[in-house]
Order: sequence, then structure tokens, then C-alpha cells
Amino acid sequence: MITLYDYELSGNCYKLRLLMSFLRIDYKTVPVDFYPGREHKSEWFLKLNPLGQLPVLDDDGLVLRDAQAILVYLASKYDPSGTWYPRDNPALLGEISQWLAFADGITSTASAARLHDALFYDFDIDVARAGAHRLFRILDEHLWFGEQQGRSWICSAGHPTIADIACFPYIILSEEGGIPRQDYPAIRRWCDRVKRIKGFTVMSGVFPAGPGKVAA
Amino acid sequence: MTKCLDPVILNLWHPIGAIAEAVPGAVQDTVLLEERLSFALNADGEPVVWRSHPDVQGPARVPAADRLPARSTYGYVWTSLGSPPAELFLIPEYEEPDRRKLNAATFGVNVSAPRAIENFLDMGHFPYVHTDILGVEPHTEVKEYDVEISVDRDEILATRCRFFQPMASTASDGGADVDYVYRVPHPYCSVLYKSSPVDEARRDVIAVFLQPVDQEHVRAHMLLCVLDEDNEDKVIKRFQQTIFGQDKPILENQVPKRLPLDPRAETPIRADKSAIAYRRWLSQKGITYGVIPVAA
Amino acid sequence: MLEEARSRWHPIAAAHDLQFRHVFHGQLLGREFAVWRADDGYVNIWENRCLHRGVRLSIGINDGRELKCQYHGWRYSNRTAGCTYIPAHPADAPARTITNRTFPAVERYGLVWSSEEPRGELPDVIGLAEGKLLALRGIPVNAPADKVVERLKAYRFQPNGAIDGEGAEILIDAAQDFAVALRSRDGDAQTHGVFFVQPVDSNRSVIRGVLDQDAEGAARIDILRHHNERLSKLRDQVEREAANVPSPAPIEPVYERVSAELAEMPGMTTHGRKAALRVTVARKWQTADGIAGFELRPIKGILPTFQPGAHIDVHMPNGEIRQYSITNGPGETDSFVIGVKLERDSKGGSKCMHETVREGDVLAISEPRNNFPLRRDSTKTLFVAGGIGITPLLAMAQALKNQDLTHELHYFAQGEEHLAFADRLKYLGDALKPHLGLSPDQTGAELRQIVADYRNGMHLYICGPGPMLEAARKIATEQGWPDTAVHFEYFKNTNKIDDSSSFEVALARSCVTLQVPAGKTIMQVMRESGIDVPSSCEQGACGTCVATVIEGEPDHQDVYLNDAERKAGTKIMTCVSRAKSARLVLDI
Repeated sequence: MITLYDYELSGNCYKLRLLMSFLRIDYKTVPVDFYPGREHKSEWFLKLNPLGQLPVLDDDGLVLRDAQAILVYLASKYDPSGTWYPRDNPALLGEISQWLAFADGITSTASAARLHDALFYDFDIDVARAGAHRLFRILDEHLWFGEQQGRSWICSAGHPTIADIACFPYIILSEEGGIPRQDYPAIRRWCDRVKRIKGFTVMSGVFPAGPGKVAA
Repeated sequence: MTKCLDPVILNLWHPIGAIAEAVPGAVQDTVLLEERLSFALNADGEPVVWRSHPDVQGPARVPAADRLPARSTYGYVWTSLGSPPAELFLIPEYEEPDRRKLNAATFGVNVSAPRAIENFLDMGHFPYVHTDILGVEPHTEVKEYDVEISVDRDEILATRCRFFQPMASTASDGGADVDYVYRVPHPYCSVLYKSSPVDEARRDVIAVFLQPVDQEHVRAHMLLCVLDEDNEDKVIKRFQQTIFGQDKPILENQVPKRLPLDPRAETPIRADKSAIAYRRWLSQKGITYGVIPVAA
Repeated sequence: MLEEARSRWHPIAAAHDLQFRHVFHGQLLGREFAVWRADDGYVNIWENRCLHRGVRLSIGINDGRELKCQYHGWRYSNRTAGCTYIPAHPADAPARTITNRTFPAVERYGLVWSSEEPRGELPDVIGLAEGKLLALRGIPVNAPADKVVERLKAYRFQPNGAIDGEGAEILIDAAQDFAVALRSRDGDAQTHGVFFVQPVDSNRSVIRGVLDQDAEGAARIDILRHHNERLSKLRDQVEREAANVPSPAPIEPVYERVSAELAEMPGMTTHGRKAALRVTVARKWQTADGIAGFELRPIKGILPTFQPGAHIDVHMPNGEIRQYSITNGPGETDSFVIGVKLERDSKGGSKCMHETVREGDVLAISEPRNNFPLRRDSTKTLFVAGGIGITPLLAMAQALKNQDLTHELHYFAQGEEHLAFADRLKYLGDALKPHLGLSPDQTGAELRQIVADYRNGMHLYICGPGPMLEAARKIATEQGWPDTAVHFEYFKNTNKIDDSSSFEVALARSCVTLQVPAGKTIMQVMRESGIDVPSSCEQGACGTCVATVIEGEPDHQDVYLNDAERKAGTKIMTCVSRAKSARLVLDI
């Protein structure tokens, strides 16, 4: 059985909930009082993850930390279609890794801005927001040219990959950090597409998309 | 931005932090009505609040002139930039010994305090914003309820409120109407009473105390005062944080951010009776901070 | 400057931005827009604010026909922007006047254009009129529009045919406040590009470039990348400059106030039997045996918002007035589609529609009125239609289908050839249950089965010929359906009206007391005293003229009220009903 050490409002935890929902994996959650309790810095949690960060996943004794790493693990092990993390396609794996790193950049900017505004973290808010806008400009351009070339997702495959999952949460939550997405129309459309993937689930602060197909 | 000139708001008690999260002696900085404040618990566990100053590093050495009124009530530190009343509004249930009292969280929200209060009073959004938790389609009706502005207590009271909630109690798996009573005893605070799933005769109490950082930003402090012997604190908190997190993107996407008091600024329906009463009450009090007053 | 800019047309999006079921977040001169394309292709540009509580509609849901606000589920119709449903009050029809502010939309040159207060039509842009065009990626810039225009005058790019070259010669063909037209020439290759600058806010703009030639495949992408790269560089320069000066304060949009009537709790509309709209018969066809379909299009402007269950009065060339239900699905607002059955004993209404009215004719119709509102908080909705009674129920079923709410449409007809509006029926899929060629007894037996399993939360809507309707209501009552869950609409009142009584009517709000003599209706007497009363069918079937009874005992002669409402005695249809008591006090 998979156990997710989870905080509802964490975008990084949401990445794993999303993938497990897409893959229809059963799991149980152990709530961690990240805020205001700072339970991720508690003794018991530091034993699980000395970095004191969420999420942590325990799969029958295999304990992993870091959202991106866990995405790689879950998709490699539990995705029979092999599309979320196509292990036999080195070029695509390269692309995915590149965007997983990009997602870390989003976390350190857009997520930081959100932590500042909502939970009063002592970050330089102007730097965080400017950094997020810089990344969003790059991603919007990338996605816009993708649309022009008939590509719907972040990587060049005809289907979504864990790169889409890794980038999605802190983009869709960016307004909570004072980062509007109005100037990124291609990102807004991509968000709609992600929400319409079969098995999509919301988190607190994320709305579902409307019906995507014409009702028959 | 000009600082607060609204005498009503200046003279109120405002919450600035949860006692449970304060470490005795440690100074916390915050912002109230665009003023930078610091507070700490002194050696006796009493809150001390002062206007932030680089020379003042702890509660013991605050010059009397810099000190602000301070009190510890309902688990929070309260202060005022004016002359506050002797008493804060009453929540008698807080004294009941068998209740669990928790600060569910303090969240920063980019919205005015009155918009957040109005959202707290609103039931019609349950099926859309708190889907499958506080409401679910197609059960969308807001049934008739009563609202009064209590003159002697100077507060708004909405009673006989009912709304369909899926999995309303642990006893039955189907949904049922849940009873609510809402009070607005303070322009920026509201208290909600809701049928308790474990004791039919009593109600859970959930309150939101808004700390106005400025006209368009608040810190929302959420007090839970509930009957629950089974769940861990963090499970109860998680539920309330989930609810609040769902309201957040709505609140942050309301334009204008300040609450318009002109009756013709937005379109009320019968379900908004309590909100209409709240807007009128704010107008009658002459409140100007966090609102767009009716043009003269 | 700002006033001048407000009266002009500006691009606010690329056509490409309005993808299927998406809501684009636009802005012009400080005013935000929710921009969405309906499934019928219509581009809606609305104030980005739900009229209810100010929530941005750009976070709402485009279901292809309507835009749903994320906060309370209010639904706004394609084209009209009128609110069609307020879920908090499922039994009420929203006031027709709850209509969001709309702005004009024109799609041209691969862009979507709008204006706050346009002076005239969108002007033609010289050099872009002909041939295939290529719209470039819009480049948002954090700088005022005039600064961007200034920089664009020195923009350098290669013509499409020599995209890899360098040193093209650039000519400024034209430069205006919000656009620069440039011509790039390199050898034989030549491209004309117009670079519009959308003034988003005082310190924000979007460069929207359009080239006079398109290209295919990789060449097209190369051209798009060429401009994207160079315009991004230009953007960086302008932003650096703009960052050195204090940025102007954002423009504060002024929001229109809602109408005074909406500021209070929505009340009754008070217009009389008026035919405010002129429509042309765009199409007339036989949709079933004995039933003609009419598609009515507005002569100019757009039709008002309607809700499922609503009807219009049609004023016929022969002077008759008849009521017909709108069969349209949600968001289908470019025309009203009605069905007219040829009645054998027609007094001139249906006969005139069938025989005299032709395609291209102009008819006068009333605004849609909804006295048969559809609740959408039902756990399961049953519709029972008999013959032409399908029309209002068809509109309702399409609305529930669109929202994926559980429903069944039981359609009783003589035979397959009597089923009207086949295309709309098809859209309903399995929810449609035809019952064909049944005798009255068989119909009764079938109805008994249909309504057999009443559960709390279900609702039943019936429309059809009088006898069938009576039977269905009776059976539903027998099966335990409460009056409040059974909704019905009669085509006409076949009761023989007894107007022999005389009595006094006091109008409480108007402070008038009137005598109603035998042979006259309450409505007639009120109108003679100059009191405007809304009405439609004037035979006690449609419910438009309902009034609240404060005192006295009504003598109900209508077919609109249900038994519980009759017993309560608090409502009266002033067109046919009278008083049993000597005096009635009405809340008028």
C-alpha cells in the first residue's frame, strides 16, 4: 500500500495526488500539519525526510522524497500505458527531465510568492514574482508554438507526461501569490487541457474545467 | 496609500495573532491597518503590543507611549489603534469545557475584510465552491431564512438558515439539510453555528476574525470551537483549511476588491438577505475602510 | 487621449486565442473582458464581472452555450449575456433584465476587435484587405502603448520570402496612435506587416502583428519565430526604458450600476400585452404531421434572453394573438424556434400561421415570458409531453441535457410521423422515451408506470392536451406526488368562464377601488382606469397576469394555478377569475 505524507494546500503534494488519480492508484494519506503546526520540521517527520519537506511517499517500505522524483517513480512503476514517463524513449526522457527542472524553478518563484502572501514566509516577494513571470513568459512562448505545430503538451509527445503534472500546480495557484496569468494565454489554455485529462482531480484552490466535448 | 482614517475601524479591537502559536518572549511582526506592529507574550503570558521600532526588541522594554491596547481573547491577541470598547463581543460557547478550541489557520488573502465576511455568510456557493463537502448539485436552493439587526447587541443575526449537505452526519450516509446560524458582531468578524454531527442538541462554532492589513488585504484567523472527541487536531484543521482554500480564489477574483455599498453596484437576490443587511449595517455605521461607500 | 482611445476599435485577442470551450481573459484601457466563443461560433465579449458578486467570469465555465459563474453557478446566455438561471432560487425565473454588459466583437485579420464606445464600424486596414494573412504571436509588454508604437517605428524584420536573409529595407507605410504599418523588402521578396498595439492599461500593451501573406508548414513556423524573437527583443528594450520612469497609475474602470429595479429584490415585470420585437420568418418547414416549425430571426440587433419554458406572443397578420413556447436549447440565441400545430377548429390562429405566414414575412412578437420555470435542483426530472405539448418541455430537456442533469422526456404522440423537431429530439439521446399510438386507457396505464416511483426531490412537468394533462395530474397525485412537485402548462383554458358575478376590487398599492360588473374581467376594469397589467393569453392559461390577493375569496376560473395554490387563495388570474366574496383586495 502506498502512503502519502500530505498537506492539502501543498502544490507539491498535489502533483502526486494528480498522478495517482490519473493512474487510478489506491493510496492512503497521512496528514501533516505543515501550517500552522510546522509538523514537517518535527522530529518524527525529519526521520522520514531530513530535509523537512513535503511530500514523502512510502511504497511498502520504500520511502521517497521530492515531488519530481516521486512522479518519476510512480509513473515508471504504475503506468501500464508507459506514456506518463516513457522509459524507452531517451529523447522524450531528456525533455521531461528538462521540464522537471523547470518545475523546480516554478516552485522556487511562484510557490514562494504564494507562501509569502498566504502564509507570511519571509521571502523577497518582488524577486519571487519577477522570477515567476520570467518563467511564465518562456513557457507561454513554448506552448504557443506548440499549438501552432499541433502539440498540446509541454513535451513533444502526443500525450501528457509527468512534466505537465510537475508544472501545473504552482502555475494554477499563481494568483494566490499575486501573479496573474492574463498575459499568458497559451498557459491558460494548457491549464484547461490539463483539467480535461481523464481522471483529473482538484485541490483546494483549483476549479475543475467545464465539459470539453460536445455532448453526444 | 493613506493610512486608515476611519474612526469606527480605528477604535475596534482587531486580532493580530494566535496565542497558541506564540512562543513566550519571541517577538512577532505584523501589519494592522497599514501600521507595522510587533507583539509578544511577556513572562506572565500576557500579550504586549507596540508600534514596531528598531530599538525595541522585546516586550519588557516597550516605552509606555509606544504600547497599544492588548488583550487575549478566544485564543488570539487583539489590539487597537484607537480607543477600543471595554469588552469584545461574546461567544459564550467558548467557555464550555468539553469543546475543542483551535486556531485552524491564519491565512493571508488579497481581498478586503468585508468581501471575506460576505463570503463567510453565503450559503449559495456551497455546491459550486465546496463541491461534495458543504454542498452538491443539484441541491442548490437557499431556503428562506430570517435576518435581523439586533439593536441592543449591535450585531447581525441570520437564523433558520438551512442548506443541503452531502454526508451531513456520520450517522447517515445520505445528505440532509444542515442548520446554520450566522452572527456578525463586529464589522470584520463573524461567528457561525452549525449542527453538530455528534450531538443533535448542540452546535459547532466556527468563527472568522479578519485582521485588516490594508483596505485590500487581510489575514484571516479561523477559530474552531467544536464538539469532536475522535479526530486529531490536524485532521480538524485540515478540513477547515480545505474549505478556506476553496474560497480563496473566489475572494481574490472579486472586483472591485473593496465591498461596494451602493445597492446598485451588484445584483442581490433573496438568498443574499444577510449580505444586504451587512452592507446596510456598514453604511449605517459610516464605515469607509475596506468598502466603497455610497456616493453622497 | 483616453476618451479618444475609448471610441476606437482595438484588437483584444487573436482569433486563435478563443479555443473550444475556453474563456479568454482580455483587457482594454483598464477594463477587463471575459471573451468566449460559443459552439455556434459567436464571439462574446463581456465585462469580466458577474453581476451578482463581482467575481471574474474569466474563471468561469464555457459550456458551449452558456457561461457559468464559478461562485454561485449563475448562467449567462450566449449572445444576449442575459442570466438564464439562478441556482439558489430554482423555482424562480430570473428577471430578464439581469444582463451582463457586452461589448461589440468583430473578427478580422486573424484578430478579435472590440471597443468600449465605438464611433462607427471597424475601419478597413489598408494593405490587409486581400489574400491570406498571418497573425503573429501577441507580445504583452509592460509599457504604455505610445512608447511601444514609438519603438515599433524602428522595428526591423525580414520579408517572408527571405526570412533567413539580413539587411532588408524597411519602409514605414503608415504610423498612427495605436498601429504602425511597415514594409520589408529584400530583393524580390516583400512583406507588408501591420503592428497593432492594444492599450491594455496605462502601463501595459500587447503587440499584435499581422502580415499580408501566410505560409505553410515549417516556413510558417520560421516566420512566426523570426517575429517572436525580434518583437520580444523590442519588448525587452521598451520595458527597460519604461522601468526607468515612474509608471502611470492603472486606469480605474467605471462599472455601470445595475438598474434600480434589480437593486431591490427582483419583482414582477409590469409590461402589458405588447409586441416589442420584430422578427422575420427565416425558415418555415413541416417538422411533423400537422406541425409547422418557424424559425424567427431578429430584423436587427439580437433577441432578448429566454429561459426554458418561456413563451412569446405572436401577433399575426390577421390581428390574432397566440402564445407559442420557445423550443430552443440554452445559448441558442440567434433565432427563436416555435412549433405550431394546425388546429382543426382553429379560430384563425394556427390556420393563419400555417396558411398565410411565409418565409421572409415580418411578424411582431412579445418579449419572452416565463411562467413555466424549470427547477434544476431536482434529483430526477420527468417530462410528460402530449402532442404539441412537446415544445416547452423540449427546451427544458435540452437545458438539463446540457448540464448533465438526470431527466426523462416521455413524448406521447399518435405515431412516428407526429414527433416534431427530430434534430432536437436526437440531441437528447436515451432520455427521450416516445410512446406512440396509444388509446386514452393505454396512455393512462403508461403514465401510471412513468410516475410510479416518486421520491422526495423529484419533479414532474406536464404539457399536452387538456384531458391528458388532467389524467396525468390525477395519476401523479394518486402515486403520492405532492402538488409542489408537479408543474404543468395548459395550451388553453377550456373551462366555460362564468362572468355573471359583480363585485368590488380594491387595489392596495394603487389606492383605488373599482367595481367589476358582470360581463367584464378584473383586468378590463383595471385597464379602463389606466392601470397597466401584464398579460399574454388572457384566458387563464399562461399565468402572466397573476396578482396577489390580500383579502377576499377568489373565484378561480383559470387552469394555471394548482390545487394547493387555489386552496390557499393568495393568487388570482385577473384575466378570467373573479370574486366569491363581495370584495377583493389585491396587491397592485
